[in-house]
Amino acid sequence: MASTSNDNVPQHMNAPENASDELEPGACHDSILNPTDSFEEFASEMSSSLRETCLTTKSSTISEIQSEILETAEDPKLKAAKSSDDLQTKDGSMSASASNSNLIEENGDDTDDDKDYLQSPELVNKEKHVFILSTAGKPIYSRYGNEDKLAGLCGVIQALVSVIEEQNQDILRFINTKDCKAVFLVKGPLILVAVSKSNESETQLVLQLTYAFNQIVSLLTLTQLNRIFEQRRNYDLRRLLAGAERLIDHLLVFMEKDPAFLLGAVRCLPLPEKARENITNAITTTCHKIRDLVFAIMIAGNQLITLVRMKKYTLHPSDIHLLFNLIRSSESFKTAESWTPICLPKFDATGFLHGHVSYISEDCQACLLLLTVQRDAFTTLSQAKHTIAEKMRRANCLVAINNALNRNEELSTTKPLKHIGIPEIRHFMYKCKSTAQLFSSDPISLDRLQDYRLRHKEGGDIVDKKITKLSDIDYVRNYRKFCNQIHCVATPAKLIFRSSSQDTILSWVTNGFELYVTFDPLMEKDHAIKAVDRLLRWIKKEEERIFIMNAPTF
Amino acid sequence: MSSRKKLLLKVIILGDSGVGKTSLMNQFVNKKFSNQYKATIGADFLTKEVIVDDRIVTMQIWDTAGQERFQSLGVAFYRGADCCVLVFDVTAPNTFKSLESWRDEFLIQASPRDPDNFPFVILGNKVDLDNRAVSVKRGQQWCQSKNDIPYFETSAKEAVNVELAFQTIARNALAQETEAELYNEFPDQIKLNANDNGRNRDGDNCAC
Repeated sequence: MASTSNDNVPQHMNAPENASDELEPGACHDSILNPTDSFEEFASEMSSSLRETCLTTKSSTISEIQSEILETAEDPKLKAAKSSDDLQTKDGSMSASASNSNLIEENGDDTDDDKDYLQSPELVNKEKHVFILSTAGKPIYSRYGNEDKLAGLCGVIQALVSVIEEQNQDILRFINTKDCKAVFLVKGPLILVAVSKSNESETQLVLQLTYAFNQIVSLLTLTQLNRIFEQRRNYDLRRLLAGAERLIDHLLVFMEKDPAFLLGAVRCLPLPEKARENITNAITTTCHKIRDLVFAIMIAGNQLITLVRMKKYTLHPSDIHLLFNLIRSSESFKTAESWTPICLPKFDATGFLHGHVSYISEDCQACLLLLTVQRDAFTTLSQAKHTIAEKMRRANCLVAINNALNRNEELSTTKPLKHIGIPEIRHFMYKCKSTAQLFSSDPISLDRLQDYRLRHKEGGDIVDKKITKLSDIDYVRNYRKFCNQIHCVATPAKLIFRSSSQDTILSWVTNGFELYVTFDPLMEKDHAIKAVDRLLRWIKKEEERIFIMNAPTF
Repeated sequence: MSSRKKLLLKVIILGDSGVGKTSLMNQFVNKKFSNQYKATIGADFLTKEVIVDDRIVTMQIWDTAGQERFQSLGVAFYRGADCCVLVFDVTAPNTFKSLESWRDEFLIQASPRDPDNFPFVILGNKVDLDNRAVSVKRGQQWCQSKNDIPYFETSAKEAVNVELAFQTIARNALAQETEAELYNEFPDQIKLNANDNGRNRDGDNCAC
């Protein structure tokens, strides 16, 4: 690579390509995750035709697994197991008749209530709003404010969408104003809208809306969601989602801060190779006889520790993100073993998996999810969990996890920039495409995400304050438009090198990886390329620690 | 936020232009009346919170334009409505005659699941005026012939019966809701062991 500095510009661009042939840090043959290019997917969402917006449920992966189990085992219990899971939330207490009712009216003082509310501090000056409503125009969710009071706005949104749909036989995708984008996504019986002043592109916003939709599917399944509205188009979906607004709230913050969403990749907890192997073994040796178990997933601080799967089945990163979000948003998992239905929309949007969710121990914040198609496997899985925890403790895995979570300075992966030793590099993030895994120089810890939430408690107001020290979140914010150019469907860029008075950013995509690096300003191109080369070598050297390089099955 | 008891009802107001749809809504929501006529363009949306049987109910009122050139907004507005309010002007017989077609139009566009029992309410407005041309009896007869639709004679100007009419609207929509609730507990759960519909099953299908 030393010769690159003497080459002329076009060859500069070629130089790193050569490096990529030999170096594709993190790549391995077998992946636990579906390799993604999430952007392409959402770009196709953007260009879908009117007809395609009607969601049809495809054949069910869960049924497939179950019938396979049936075939191999003829398990009579499972055959009889008609799913009778109750809905999570039901509105049971409705008075049966309207007789003897008293209708009192509440402060309906002023005409301009509605208009005033839109100008209230709860709503103005937000960086990004998200509204979810039914196609009948009934509000379901608003990121800020009280969705009830936004019923009028929801009516307007519904009208806009429908007029375009009916009069022009077309789909309303976005409305751009000078400083604001409104992005619309009509999915099945729901309309999702983001109104944003951030630097996110339309595609990136559609991606976030799709996640919000999937979060709802994850709670209800697509089958149920569709059926509810087939039966009753006037249904007020808030009744079924009561208590789950929190999940959507968290997800929206999570998506803005964690590049995992931007890149469609999963972040792994950096661990010594041996420790990860021991954890995986603890799971496989304990669970290999539990026949209905589809996935065993261990996570900590929004990072994947290991994922053991049933042969043939892999998970999509976006499903894992929803699991991260579920765990992160639910304090109750910390206090007790839980048994919960979970629908993973990419895996199978039509049905629920049943999940045993628990933290490994009080002194280790790793959370284990055991996902099965068997409705009454709680006891079996609960026992398995305790065996796994015991095995992990004996093999010193808990210490290893805690060290990584506490960002022990002795680990080379804690402060990668120090170990790489190129002072000009301020920040980088790397995605291995074939395994859909991500590593960045300064991962956002759980605590910092929470701090961020606290600081923005009043919520996402636009701040003009000059940022003095950039955090991972700010770097990622800067990468957004590069990411967008690289994933542009019409004219995708392969390599972008941009200098400004603030910094120099290089982003580079090959068949194997995506890389975003922020350097000091005034960084020269050939210098940058050399630095990137060293960076890639370091990632290659550390790949066994920072990525999950195998795809274990039960 | 205890959204458990919260409920939102979508109420649509239809009728010829100038019968007083917007005025009725303004009287109900804002307790105001203006003699000045301002045609509604497209539609207006107003919300009002009311309490029916301990339940907080938000009425999302869709006030539509009566003029024909806005009729193409159709389905969008009617879709998923909980109650439809048809308004005519008691001094203008032609607006009364239009009720039939407004009702039909609504049923076609909204295609509710149970059209015979869909809650409608009829309001004969402007009873404060002297030049009345549609008699009470005529109004009532028509309503009876349509499966006993509740009929109110109102004056948006003098706030006659407006409150009562909207109470009935909320209650009837809610009753519909409640009834549906009783018979609709989503009994069928997802059939997890549905037939394997010919997806490829390779030799290696052992789960262990």
